[in-house]
This record gives sequence, structure tokens and C-alpha cells, in this order.
Amino acid sequence: MKRLVQGNEAIFLGALKAGANFFAGYPISPASEILVLAAEHASKNPDFKFIQSEDEIAAANAIMGASLAGAKSFTATSGPGFSLMQEAIGYGHQVEVPTVFVNIQRVGPATGMPTMPAQQDIVQTNYGSSGDYYPLAFYPNCVEECYRYTVTAFNAAEESLSPVILLSDGFVGHLNEMVDLGAIEVKVVPRSRPPLGTGKRFFTGLAHDEKGNPRTADAVVYKEWLSKVKTRHEKVAARYSDFEFKGNTSSDTLLISYGIVSRVIAPLASQFAMFRPIRIFPMLGDELREHAQGYKKIVVVEANDGQYACLVERELKRDVVKVPLLGGRINLDLVRKGLSEKLEREVL
Amino acid sequence: MFKDLLKLELFPTTWCPGCGIGQIMIQLAMVMDELGLDHTNSTVISGVGCTGRLAGYFNVDGVYTLHGRTLPVAEAVKLVNPGLKVIVVSGDGDLASIGGNHLLHAARRNPDLTVLCNNNQVYGLTGGQAGPTTPRDTKTVSTPAGAIYDPVNLQNLMKAGAKYFYARTTVFHQVHFRKCIKEAIAWPGFAFIDIICHCIENNGRRLGFNSAYEMLQYFRQTYKRAPDDAEILEPFEIGIVRKG
Repeated sequence: MKRLVQGNEAIFLGALKAGANFFAGYPISPASEILVLAAEHASKNPDFKFIQSEDEIAAANAIMGASLAGAKSFTATSGPGFSLMQEAIGYGHQVEVPTVFVNIQRVGPATGMPTMPAQQDIVQTNYGSSGDYYPLAFYPNCVEECYRYTVTAFNAAEESLSPVILLSDGFVGHLNEMVDLGAIEVKVVPRSRPPLGTGKRFFTGLAHDEKGNPRTADAVVYKEWLSKVKTRHEKVAARYSDFEFKGNTSSDTLLISYGIVSRVIAPLASQFAMFRPIRIFPMLGDELREHAQGYKKIVVVEANDGQYACLVERELKRDVVKVPLLGGRINLDLVRKGLSEKLEREVL
Repeated sequence: MFKDLLKLELFPTTWCPGCGIGQIMIQLAMVMDELGLDHTNSTVISGVGCTGRLAGYFNVDGVYTLHGRTLPVAEAVKLVNPGLKVIVVSGDGDLASIGGNHLLHAARRNPDLTVLCNNNQVYGLTGGQAGPTTPRDTKTVSTPAGAIYDPVNLQNLMKAGAKYFYARTTVFHQVHFRKCIKEAIAWPGFAFIDIICHCIENNGRRLGFNSAYEMLQYFRQTYKRAPDDAEILEPFEIGIVRKG
């Protein structure tokens, strides 16, 4: 049945659909609804475990422990909390822990503008922790997709054995839309690894060999491990190369946007071609190259100062026009104004 | 045999000759063996630092967490799998400094965890810097004129909670040490064992000790048993205080 569902609620229900049975988190706007829903759910369902942690560092490490113990685990936070979780995300990549981090972005840096919506953690999502790692991340733009891609994030986590990021923003997180979640068909990937208490394994944040024994000075072992993980991530990513493209033969310009911004600029589809990445990391290289072909100008409209635009520039190896929407103000008039300035013609 | 609980194929361990962590490993393995704890019913979780490497030598599923994060990981493991005995072994720097906030709140939430704290009063792995438990006036590489702060009082920290289990023992007093581990494992809540231990290479020699043996003799002479009904452990007393 169709009913009004909030973006954050859809994420929580998507997690349940995916089989999540552990949540740890620390209250932060605009993500707190997910923590509150998890607390309510845990109070009625003893099989669902919940910890309100002392801080985001504890929450991020708790979901690692829960996953190793056999749960499907997740947390939800916003920019400042996401920064505190970065070390644990790196740990999850080294130890190969399937889990999900939800980041409902707001304006930063630091405490920033609580809780105006933003898309300012794009680079942090891909590069926030130390070392080389290859995170998968998804960015839905509506309530229905929040549900669907939360399930995808859990599936990709089990398949890649890594922490997967689900990005949203304060706008979509608090958006209410009519949707029939029960009618959405999704596939659910089961838990991938036997839980703690079934073997003699060692799960370590140190570089290690196949058995888990620390190998902290062996470049060969390290490179083999990194290459194995990289290949696995590329394979899993290829299963979820999701994007949306609307060509426009009467236009010489392609607008790239994602999340809430793609909704806001939808009325411009009659004037421009549109590309929207959903699997935002790893970068949709081939897909971007293919669909950018034939367009003289590439414009990235995003609620940050050109974070994704720079990555697109690197993929396409050509200049990209940046239209940043800053300070939590995301509306069509500002986009029109920005486009008019940058393209040096009036965009209506 | 307690040796079955250890990955002997990885020996010699990463620790310096004379290091006290080997004793912690052996005593824990002996108690686990006595209690029938093995890879089917228990896990050992350790943090970063010399002590952090301990979990990797046990023949059970072990976790080596990030620095300071043993307790959030362990608490989640216990919550998800209540049937598992969860034993945390880490250093004083890991548990009381970088993990201090987690220690405070894990103790408050009182999950059924057994925590062995290797209290060697120094950051050994990084070369002998002062830690949260370093006594005042102690010279270390990061306190060349002597530590200017008083150390954290772990007993008082643990007793801040409505329920607590705090044991102090030393690596010299092995019978007492094993008794503490056994009672901590039996305790149905957060049980913390403060193990006075030695780091000869990166602390002891600077303090004037010539060998690990001399440090153990110092523990033998300095630490005395508290009365069984003690409600507070005086400095240099070993014993257990608890409230359920």
C-alpha cells in the first residue's frame, strides 16, 4: 500500500529488508531518525540488537564487531560523525568486514551549518581513511531509491567483504514521498562469513597473509592481498553500475548531478542532456565516457565546491564546468543563475 | 593442555625477551584450558600495542582491533553472540588513554566482558613514552624531566559505576593472577583486571632495573595481598573489589 515514507525511514526499512539485525550509532542531525527507528525496533524485537554508543568512533567499531560476530550491521551519521568513523572504515577494508555506513550529509566542515543539506562528503567517502582502499558507495535521490539502494549496499557489502557507504543528504533524508515499499522487489544476499566462535582465525588490522597471520614487512604478501581485494571490488562494482541518462540531441551540454540536486534540476531536461550516477564510487568511468561523448560542454551541478566535478574531470580528461550550490541553498533558481553565469548565456 | 590453545607454530613471539606479556598469555591459556574454553565457545579480542598482538597467538577466533577500540568491538560481539565468552586483552595505553571514553562507558553499560589490562606503565611498542598509568616523576622518553601528572586511578574509575569488578594483580603473583582471571570470567558483568606488568626494554632499564627478573622481584617485594573483605585496594595491594 502506498503511504508517506520519509527518506531516513526508507533507509531503515531497507536495512531490515536486507536482513540487518544490528545497529550502533550516536545521535546526529539529520540522521537521528534512523537511530530512533532502530531503538524502537530493538525494543520490540529481541533479535535486533541496538547500541547507542558513546561516540561515533565506538559506533563504527561496534558494527565491525557485530559483523564479525555474524550480524548484518549498520550505522547512520552525518558529516562530523562520518569524519570520526573514517579510521574504522579503513579497518573494515583491511580486515574485510561487510557492513554499511549511512551518511546523511549536511553543510561542513566541522559542525558547519546544522542541519542544512549538502553533498560535501563526496571526496571523504572515497578517500577519507588512510592507505589505499576501494570503497563502494551509492547515492539515491528519492525515498523509493533510499529503500532499494540500502538493500543494494548490504548486498554489495557481503559480496565485496567491505564497508559500503550509502550517501544521502539532509534534504532527501527528510523528504516524505508516497511510496509502496512492499511492492519493491529486491534480491537479498545472505551473510557471507561464518561468525566468531567457529574457527581459529585472526581478524587483524595489520597487513596479513591468507591465514590472518600478521605480515608487516612483506611487500609481496601485501601487494597480492591488495590486488585480490581490488579485483573483488571491481567485480562487485560492475554488478551495480547504476546510473540514469537522458540524452538530448538538441543540446551540446551534459549536466551531471546526483542525489537531491538531480531532482531539483529535473525541469532542465528539455534544455540539456542529463547524467546521474547512482553507484557514485567507484567512479562510473566507462559509463561517463560513453555518455559524455558528443557533448561539447560537461557541467557538474552539486551541493559542494566541485568535489565530484574534479573526479569527473580526471575520468574524462577534459575540463568540466562547476556549478556549486553552497550553504544549504539548493533550488532551481540558483542553478539557473549558476548555469547562466558559467555558460555565458541565459538559462531559463 | 593449555598449549593446545596457543598457535605454537608462530613462536617465538614478537615480544622482547623477558617481556611480561608472555606471562599474561600463558596464565590466560591455563585458565581457559581449566574452564574448557576453546574456539567453539570463546574469542579473544585485543587492541594495538605490544599487548595487541596477543589475540593472534590463541587458537580461537581472535580480533585485533584499531588502537583503543577493543571495548566497542567486544561489546557488540557479546551482544550479537551472548553464548560466546568474550575476553579482551590490551595495554594500559590502549584501554585507559586512547580508549578511555570507551572504558568509561563500557563499564557503565556493564556488558559481560572479561578485560585483562596489561599495566606496564609505559608505551612500550613506540619506544617508551609516558602513558596514562605512568607514575608521577617517572622519566620516560616523553617525560625527560619526569612525568608531571599523576596517573589515572583505574580502581576509582571502575568503581564509578553502580556495579563493578576490579582486580589488581601482578605477573609475579601467578596463583593470584589465575584466580583473578577465573573470577573475572565467572563475573556476570564487566570485569576489569589491572595486571601490573613489566617492560624491561623500553621502561625498566631506564628506571635502573638490569633484567626482567629484577622487575619481577620488585613486584614480589612491593605488592602485598589485601584482606579478602577489603572494599578498597590500597596502593601496592593486590586483590579484588566488586559490587554486583
